[in-house]
Amino acid sequence: MMLHYFLRRAFLIGFVFVALTVLAFSLSYLFPGEVLNNISGLTDIQPEQRQQLIQYYALDQSLLQQYIAYVNRILDGEWGLSFSSQQPVLSEIIAVFPATLELASYALILSFVLGIPLGLFAAVKADSVFGKLISAVTLVAYSIPIFWWALLLIMLFSLTLGVLPTAGRISVLFDIPTTTGFMLPDIWLSDIDYKSEASQDAFRHLLLPAIVLATYPTTVMIRFTRDSMLAVLEQSYIKTARAKGLSRFEVLYHHGLRNALLPVIRQIGLQFSTLITLAMITEVIFSWPGIGQWLLDSIYQRNYPAIQGGLLVVSCLVIVVNMLTEILHTLFNPLARKA
Amino acid sequence: MKKFRLYFEEQNRGPLTQLWQQFQRQHAAVFGLVMFAFFLLLTLFAPLITPHNPYVQNPDLLLLAPSWSDQGLVQYPFGTDDLGRDLMSRLMKGATYTFGIALVTVMGALLMGLALGAMAGMSKGVKSSIFNHVLDLALTIPSLLLAIIIVAVLGPGLWNTTWAIMLALLPQFVHGIRNAIQDTLKQDFVAAYRLDGASNWQVLRYAVLPNIWEHITVMATMALSTAILDIAALGFLGLGAQAPTSEWGVMIADALDLIYLAPWAIALPGILVFAAVLSVNLVGDGLRTAMKKRREN
Repeated sequence: MMLHYFLRRAFLIGFVFVALTVLAFSLSYLFPGEVLNNISGLTDIQPEQRQQLIQYYALDQSLLQQYIAYVNRILDGEWGLSFSSQQPVLSEIIAVFPATLELASYALILSFVLGIPLGLFAAVKADSVFGKLISAVTLVAYSIPIFWWALLLIMLFSLTLGVLPTAGRISVLFDIPTTTGFMLPDIWLSDIDYKSEASQDAFRHLLLPAIVLATYPTTVMIRFTRDSMLAVLEQSYIKTARAKGLSRFEVLYHHGLRNALLPVIRQIGLQFSTLITLAMITEVIFSWPGIGQWLLDSIYQRNYPAIQGGLLVVSCLVIVVNMLTEILHTLFNPLARKA
Repeated sequence: MKKFRLYFEEQNRGPLTQLWQQFQRQHAAVFGLVMFAFFLLLTLFAPLITPHNPYVQNPDLLLLAPSWSDQGLVQYPFGTDDLGRDLMSRLMKGATYTFGIALVTVMGALLMGLALGAMAGMSKGVKSSIFNHVLDLALTIPSLLLAIIIVAVLGPGLWNTTWAIMLALLPQFVHGIRNAIQDTLKQDFVAAYRLDGASNWQVLRYAVLPNIWEHITVMATMALSTAILDIAALGFLGLGAQAPTSEWGVMIADALDLIYLAPWAIALPGILVFAAVLSVNLVGDGLRTAMKKRREN
């Protein structure tokens, strides 16, 4: 049963990857400018080079063969050059990608830590003042445009109070050697003698972007946990558990929470693509050197090979997270395995 | 409206009236509806009622403070921007762009989604399986990233953004409508209707659509709030509407340089985006609750 399920998933993920590479490949033709420039990333091509490049990229052959050559190059890690810097796109992505992952994962963790307890509380005390207050605040936070919210926080904490920095991952005074690309682990792994100051500074830089980015997922988490818990609390097995004489905590923990959190797991996967979108905007506002800022810069510079590469990486990340949450959901929920 | 229901009364009203009765019991939702109506009127009549021309620059009145401060003028309630354009007129005109174009995008995406969703919902077997996989792909690409790629192909501009957001909203509509149709098709009354000899089209038109339109409305409100936020975000990033246009996101981006001098020029457009999204969300939440209660009764 499970094997069948995994095979289906594997087939699906294979199909999605093929479709995604087809899309990325066709962008070379869709973008303005010459296909050879778009596909190689070279800005200025000498006439004598031209024939050689056309052969290398298989542009003289059929579209299918061009596509196969493209996939082979992607798998070999040859993603073309960036128009603006003439550096390999892949190495640039590897340099900026961890910053985005770091920011997104802290925001996601924050949304778990805050969202699930608050959502449960709002469900259990649905008619109390606090429950209603939580629902009202979530609705408000759900409607705030993220870039405006970021600017408000910057105006308050950085410009008026002057307590938090507005841009970057760490003050330029600190020189942190890159090992993992994640700032906080990098600081702890490095052998510098100003570790505590550096981590404090990195934390202060992280605080505002993480709060801004966590706002939306937290509200979604609260709303979803609350709705799912309210639905579970109406089930008859909760009444049975009560009738058996279990304490309130036991009913909530063993019978309520476990069932209510199942759809929440699935929701993480669905919300992840929104989270990445919001991360891109947050990065631009806080000059966070991640893939979002890099991608938007590429658009302003009409840097087509970079846009192509960014699309592939970001979409693959979203797909992988989607798949993982779905598989987790199936592992935890015996009912989903049957379907 | 009676506050307590003392006696059991039989409800024989039409579904729409019942829905409205449940809806107007929720004060927040009614408040949202009023705000929504306000934005809708502003969108339609903004060009007629703006006190000044939103694009005319007045070199004598640069960066005028709002009228509640001592330096302000009562003719310019929210002051002027760094080129001397009246901020209030620009904000009113901005409703046409941010709110109005969001409405148009959602309508377009809804119509396309209805057609595609109906096709997907009524089909079976390999065809629907392929469709599902394509949808799964489209749903995984973040909407803003999709919009960014479309903008990169077509070039920045308000109309290109409209297409981009329409396409980005489409997958969720198709997905939702297809699921709703397939759920309805399992019902007994559809089977009975089929046994009466109804064709596929008749089943869709007379049995399925009347039962899912509420669901579609709720989906449309959710999409509308996404559309408003996306249009403003793209405008803010410089990928959507371009500089002289008084779209709210563009106005915030324009005022960024003046964040110390004129913080209200950032605060006001943001409040409007926020209020517009909030009104849509309030109406959507109210509708959903009303639907649920009506079905329970």
